[in-house]
Amino acid sequence: MRHAHRTHGTNHTGKMFGRLLTAVVLAALALVFIVPLWWTLASALRPAGSLYEYANPLTWRTFFPSRITLDNFINIFAHLGFGRALANSFIVAFGTIAMGIVVSAMAGFALAKFVFPGKSIFFFIVLLTFMVPFEAIVIPLHLVVKRIGIVNTYWALILPAVGNGLGIFLFKQFFEELPTELLEAARVDGASWLSIFTGIVIPLSVPAVVTVVVMMFLFQWNSLFWPLVATYSSRYQVVQVAVASHVTAEEAHWANSFSSAIAASLPPMLLFLGVQKQYVRGISSTGFK
Amino acid sequence: MKNRVIAFLLIIAALLPVVVAAAPATTLEVVWMAWPKDMVDKLIAGFEKQNPGIKVDVQLVPFTQLFQTLEVRLPTGGTPDVYLVDGPLTPSYAARGFLLPLDQYFTPAELRAWFPSSIDTSRYQGKLYSIPYATSSAGLYFNKAIFKKYGVPFPSEKPGDRLTWEEVAQIARKLTIDENKDGQIDVWGLLIEQIDRPYQLLPLAQSKGAEGISPDGLKTEGYITSKPFVEATEFYWKLFNEWKVSPQGIPDAAKSREYFGNGKAAMMLGAEWNIARLAAFKGLDFGLSPHPYFAGGKAVTPTGSWHVGINAKTTKKDAALTFLRYITGREAAIEWHKLFGHAPARPDVYDAMPQVFNNPMWQILLEEMKKTAVARPVTPGFLEYELMLRETFNSIHYGANPEEELKNAAKRIDRELRKYR
Amino acid sequence: MDARRVGRARVDAPPGPARVWSESMFRDSRAAFWFILPALVFLCLFKIWPIAVSLGESFMQTSISGRKSFVGLENYAYLLHDDPVFWGSVRVTLLYSLVINPLAVAVSLALALLLNRRKWYVGFFRTLCFLPSAISLSVVAVIWGVMLDPHFGLANSLLRMLGLQPQPFLTSSGQALWCLMAMSLWRSAGYWMMFFLAGLQGIPQEVYEAAEIDGASGLTRTFRITLPLLARTMSFVLVSNTAFNFLTFAPVFILTKGGPMRSTNMLMYESYKSAFVNIDLGRATAISSMLLVVILVISIIELRLTRASFQY
Repeated sequence: MRHAHRTHGTNHTGKMFGRLLTAVVLAALALVFIVPLWWTLASALRPAGSLYEYANPLTWRTFFPSRITLDNFINIFAHLGFGRALANSFIVAFGTIAMGIVVSAMAGFALAKFVFPGKSIFFFIVLLTFMVPFEAIVIPLHLVVKRIGIVNTYWALILPAVGNGLGIFLFKQFFEELPTELLEAARVDGASWLSIFTGIVIPLSVPAVVTVVVMMFLFQWNSLFWPLVATYSSRYQVVQVAVASHVTAEEAHWANSFSSAIAASLPPMLLFLGVQKQYVRGISSTGFK
Repeated sequence: MKNRVIAFLLIIAALLPVVVAAAPATTLEVVWMAWPKDMVDKLIAGFEKQNPGIKVDVQLVPFTQLFQTLEVRLPTGGTPDVYLVDGPLTPSYAARGFLLPLDQYFTPAELRAWFPSSIDTSRYQGKLYSIPYATSSAGLYFNKAIFKKYGVPFPSEKPGDRLTWEEVAQIARKLTIDENKDGQIDVWGLLIEQIDRPYQLLPLAQSKGAEGISPDGLKTEGYITSKPFVEATEFYWKLFNEWKVSPQGIPDAAKSREYFGNGKAAMMLGAEWNIARLAAFKGLDFGLSPHPYFAGGKAVTPTGSWHVGINAKTTKKDAALTFLRYITGREAAIEWHKLFGHAPARPDVYDAMPQVFNNPMWQILLEEMKKTAVARPVTPGFLEYELMLRETFNSIHYGANPEEELKNAAKRIDRELRKYR
Repeated sequence: MDARRVGRARVDAPPGPARVWSESMFRDSRAAFWFILPALVFLCLFKIWPIAVSLGESFMQTSISGRKSFVGLENYAYLLHDDPVFWGSVRVTLLYSLVINPLAVAVSLALALLLNRRKWYVGFFRTLCFLPSAISLSVVAVIWGVMLDPHFGLANSLLRMLGLQPQPFLTSSGQALWCLMAMSLWRSAGYWMMFFLAGLQGIPQEVYEAAEIDGASGLTRTFRITLPLLARTMSFVLVSNTAFNFLTFAPVFILTKGGPMRSTNMLMYESYKSAFVNIDLGRATAISSMLLVVILVISIIELRLTRASFQY
């Protein structure tokens, strides 16, 4: 514990001030993030109604519904096929993660620890892939998916996201931090590259791996346009499409909008909640203390 | 012997469903707007029951993604087999070969089932490319409580004595109110439901005798820059910038309805779909007055809505036609109106549902659809035309000079329309 | 080879010079080839090929019937010389990126530093900050639309309660872009924070302990130790943020449609309109290709700058 070293009296007021400052900043932070989210939650838990009814004038009713109902949540699952959309997005997200982590981590490892001909070209390609807007490549990408015959399948949603430039880039940055000497020692011991990769590199990079997992999950979870283009069948409706469906040209069903957005935000939130625990004991604490 | 015959018949009877089920079902791929899934499913179920050999796989595409999804998918081939076409986009898709010409499948007598203004929208260069699914109209909604509170008499509900825009502006000025004198408007005089859409705003110019585009649909210079068009647009500019009776920056129809429904506006120029939806606001007592016109001009109302078309490259033409006939037919139109409240594009549906349409508000709109409705401009460049004109109106309502903006718009639109020559 | 043993092996290594080792690399091209092969296949098929097609498209014009003809640099020349809105969009996009890029990096880094501690409440706060990035953008837009509604929104209700003048927010050409920045910051700060948190896990604790014994204050520690050791994460967040912000499209599309008076008419929205509304793929891809070059140049500068601080 680093604070244990601080025993000087002069530091005492400074420490108090620091704590106060932290508390104020945290409170402000909470306010900025909670107010809009809380209002959304309150709107989702109210009987379906109008958008501004409780937004103006500002009263405590704005944030605390007088009658709480789960109807809006029940409605989207029972009548609007939200469960199916959730399941589809799970399949797509996990499929992408399962393949994408391996593919990205391998490439990131090569970029971080190897010298090979064409390396800078490969890195350039990696950078390029996330600097082009999706809207600019959607038409040719749709043709690719159509030609290789995976259009209107889960593969059309999974495979294009497996090669993830950002993921490779992130792995490269994190793997560079690993001491090469360690890998060299294992190499001298006769370990194969594959066992070094799976036995040393990955276990020492848990924070990086879980971060890319969250990144890939969010990428697929939040995708809206591509699923509409790459799959034609109602069977493959994904979660963002279901959420966006509550606003049509003629009307907006606010309550369903909010309840589906909240239901859709739970899986990534829970994933992050579980994963963020890794951010206190990364490689720094392995072997120390 | 007799037993054998009976046994034989029984076997046949037992096999029949198997045989029917084994007949290869055609699956139609359909792109549809993401209207509530349970409602669309009901409509489709009705079709599949009548046509056991055809399965319909409806992809519900959210409104914000609908046009771009079609732009990606249509150029690459045979799917979707059937898709929802925004009426005025019929020429755009037809000009690019995305729609199957339908003339040989519908007799002129059959086509009389739909409003003529809707069928006009279905045609491009003399050929029929889409069939109307719904239509629309608009009028002036007013909040009775606000009118009463400030002692303003209700506007007439008879198409014969519709208000002029000049009168509307006057009432709007009276009913733009800062109730608690805090410098903030609490009740706005007039809302334009779709604040910058040509759908809602072209009738103003048309009322003064202006046209939105040349007869061949390829030129706007001299049309949207004509004197009456500019004058009508100046009136629109004044609503927001001189009289300040209309609030700027309301992004869409749903938000406008929220304002009006919650008593934050005295009047709203809005589409027919509000009749059903405004009823959902508690404590709102509203009336509908016919669409206003400019003094000395003629009455013009907007119309048109969704159509349905068949992909020119479909391999399932027969099934697609069967579905097209069903979904635009009388039975489905009745069902869909009950489910969603769209204005049917078929007069026979209005006759079939007197309990709904005898409502005086619907009677006004029905008369408008028959007499004053003018379809949106027919041009293969409607996508471009609509967006640029919309941006132009948007800038004008924020205060940009109407004449200059319209001139710029005409230049930009005409440049885009050149590719269709 | 067991990870635990390796981990223990590291104890012998002095913490500082670790960075120097990592500069040494293996020269086994064959192994490297196998490691990059899957990624190469996926990237080429689903990214590089479409990108190449899109680039090619920027040198062509497509007729209504779908026929393409080569026009050289005409699409670019038109944009640079004659297009009435292009330069306005360039200005808006640059302003947006120049403000939001450093801001987003600074705020997310600050959040990560603030929440990189072992206290019972950090899990809650981290998740709270992260939550907005898990909410559908279309609904985030609705939420912000209601919060910032000029006439009946929560923000103005609040301002009025505090006796302040209500603001027009998204309906003012002077404020709309800043509102988009605020929304973007709100939605993505927690997301970028996650990468910094992950990066912070790589900093050996004993570096701090050593510094503490030397009597370095909290702020000094942050600038002298944490930031240099975070350089690799920093370059990742900088580069990906640059791309992310330059390519901003959805918030504009959903919330402002480029208005009021083109004050939020960013390049990607212009490109989108060309591709999907004006059916002018040449202009659309010329814009996105120029964006690509700009992002690449800035990213390479960012990579160089952060690499310089790899050694401390």
